[in-house]
Amino acid sequence: MRNVLIGFAVAAVLAAGARAEPSGQQIIAQVNTSRTPGHPFRVTDYLTEYMNGQPHDTMRIVVFVKQNRETQEYDNLIKYLEPARDVGKLILFNGTNMWFYDPSSKASVRISPQQRLLGQASNGDVATVNLARDYSAKLVGEEKLLDADRVNRDCWHLDLKAATDQAVYSRVEYWVEKGTYRQVKGKFYSDSGRLLKIAYYHKYEKLLGSDMPTETIVIDAVNQNLVTTMAVSDLRNQEIPDSWFQRDFLPRLKLD
Amino acid sequence: MRHGAVILVLLAAASPAAAQNAPQEENSDLNLIPGAVEKAPPPAAQPAGHGKYFLEDAFGLYSFRGSFAVPYPSPTPSRWADRLSFDMLDQWTLAPRLTASFSDRLSVSEADGIGFPEESVRNDPREAYLTWEALPETYLEAGRINLRYGVAYGFNPTDFFRARTSVAQSSADPSALRNNRLGTAMIRAQRIFDGGSLEFVYAPKLHTPAPLYAVADPVDPKFDQTNDADRFLFAYSFKLEEFSPQVLITHESGRTRLGLNLSHPVGDSIIAYLSWAGGAAPGVTADAIAFGKRTGTLPSFAPLLPPASTSRIFRNEISAGASWTSEYNVTVMAEYNFNQAGFSKDDWRNWFAIGADPVLAPEMWYIRGYASDRQLPMSRHQAFADISWSEPFDIENFSLSGFALGNLSDGSTMCQVGLNYDISDTWSLGAYLTGSTGGKRSEWGSMSNAASAIVSLVRYL
Repeated sequence: MRNVLIGFAVAAVLAAGARAEPSGQQIIAQVNTSRTPGHPFRVTDYLTEYMNGQPHDTMRIVVFVKQNRETQEYDNLIKYLEPARDVGKLILFNGTNMWFYDPSSKASVRISPQQRLLGQASNGDVATVNLARDYSAKLVGEEKLLDADRVNRDCWHLDLKAATDQAVYSRVEYWVEKGTYRQVKGKFYSDSGRLLKIAYYHKYEKLLGSDMPTETIVIDAVNQNLVTTMAVSDLRNQEIPDSWFQRDFLPRLKLD
Repeated sequence: MRHGAVILVLLAAASPAAAQNAPQEENSDLNLIPGAVEKAPPPAAQPAGHGKYFLEDAFGLYSFRGSFAVPYPSPTPSRWADRLSFDMLDQWTLAPRLTASFSDRLSVSEADGIGFPEESVRNDPREAYLTWEALPETYLEAGRINLRYGVAYGFNPTDFFRARTSVAQSSADPSALRNNRLGTAMIRAQRIFDGGSLEFVYAPKLHTPAPLYAVADPVDPKFDQTNDADRFLFAYSFKLEEFSPQVLITHESGRTRLGLNLSHPVGDSIIAYLSWAGGAAPGVTADAIAFGKRTGTLPSFAPLLPPASTSRIFRNEISAGASWTSEYNVTVMAEYNFNQAGFSKDDWRNWFAIGADPVLAPEMWYIRGYASDRQLPMSRHQAFADISWSEPFDIENFSLSGFALGNLSDGSTMCQVGLNYDISDTWSLGAYLTGSTGGKRSEWGSMSNAASAIVSLVRYL
């Protein structure tokens, strides 16, 4: 009888622990908080494209990021520094207000959400998608998963479905390390359910008070011979006026 | 024992699910990451870099029609041409709030019948201006600036500074025409605020207008083309739902015109757009003949043929269209262009009837040359379609493109198919096949140019 009572007591404690397990939405909210500085910032991204295992193209972009006060989305302003053929081109992501500017033509061309998913610069999306606001997350379970450095991680496996029109991807799967709330892996799907990208996040460092992956490896799921690494550097706080995130400012962006 | 089993069941029910190994295919995704990724050194900090500099060589073969409904006034041009260009675009910070911008193209062309250096060497200073940020997000600029307004692709009614600005290039694609054009000398003030901007432009008259087809000195900045009249422009962009509206007012040579640009996403993959301009203006024939007389190309007694009113009435220019992008990186655009000052079906009939007389043919071609110089659709109703496919069939760094410009009255078209291959970060290869279709008595079928094939090689510096 004593054993039974002890058993019930242990079970009760564990049951209480189980109830304390965070929900999918809580996990994703915590991921959002811990991976993004709470203030506007600027970062330089180095993108290296590997084709059939060999480095092929490189791209260097500067990204200005600020959370939109109305939508809570992360507005992005991207300027190309390399390669030479693209130098000076700019892309604005401000909700559905998205524009491409080419200094050669002096033309601002409006782009669709679909175009945001295509092209190399779109890889930046895998880092700045507002998970908590745009997606409803369901905890699928707990899984052990190898990270990009082939270290086994205890992860929560989450299934995210788009909950707002602003959601860039219609579905995202995430593996988040328990305890640290670090993203380990993500899979990004199109409206038709097509797997577009697989992302591995690693080389975490404390930057601007946030726990951020300094390298993201993005596998093109459509053309699996194509892998892009995105390394971040020169991350710094920057005051960014709201007026920057509009078409007319694009020709005005100057890097110091 | 029974009690022990109950305890185990309770424990199993109460404890959180123990972490399972992820399905094998999840970890096998790691095999897609090449070993070279692990060995790659971390990126080294680099300076912001310079502007865009490149060398381009474009070689073209051309074929021409032999007989015309309206005799061609000039001899058949060379059946081949080669152009070597040095192109640059850069910006320098002179002081914390002061920048200088410069954009230029120096070209040397070779073809049968081209004189050296007058016709073969050409330097086009597209832009040279200073920008002073007088207050945060408030800019004052002075110099030659290539200013472009509008959201359309085939014909931009609100692109008020497009007339007489084209520079030699390897593609007839309207978007390529946009990339290579002369700016206009002006002073410009712009205030950017959250959601929009307000700007004012004054482009002074610096020279009397150059005649059409005039051969300029190789280093002539061509202000007699871009600044042959005083012009004022006011533009206001603001936030209105998702329409990104922009309204414009421009005044030139006693003509005031209004403009409006709108665009809106439709679903995830479509952008719809509308560009409109309107104001009092004569028809294209009266405008062209008046210009020809003013610049001395046409004698003062040249008749207005066919006889037409020279009075100005309110005329509209409209471009409405949509672009659609697929999941497979194919973008298709379809656009309708309306130019009320352009030729109607009757105007075309008259043009062919009058132009059949060899004495009057040069004047008829002059009217078309005038419209082309101003990048105006010759026809009242025109359609533009464009398709681009980036990395077709998963061919890396390769893109296919094509466009068609069609006269909706006679069905004739001018089309182009292009391909581009980025050989490396610094080399690109392009090829363009252009042709026109239509009978002798159609807009595009009446032209001298029948087809062309151009190959261009670009080395970015």
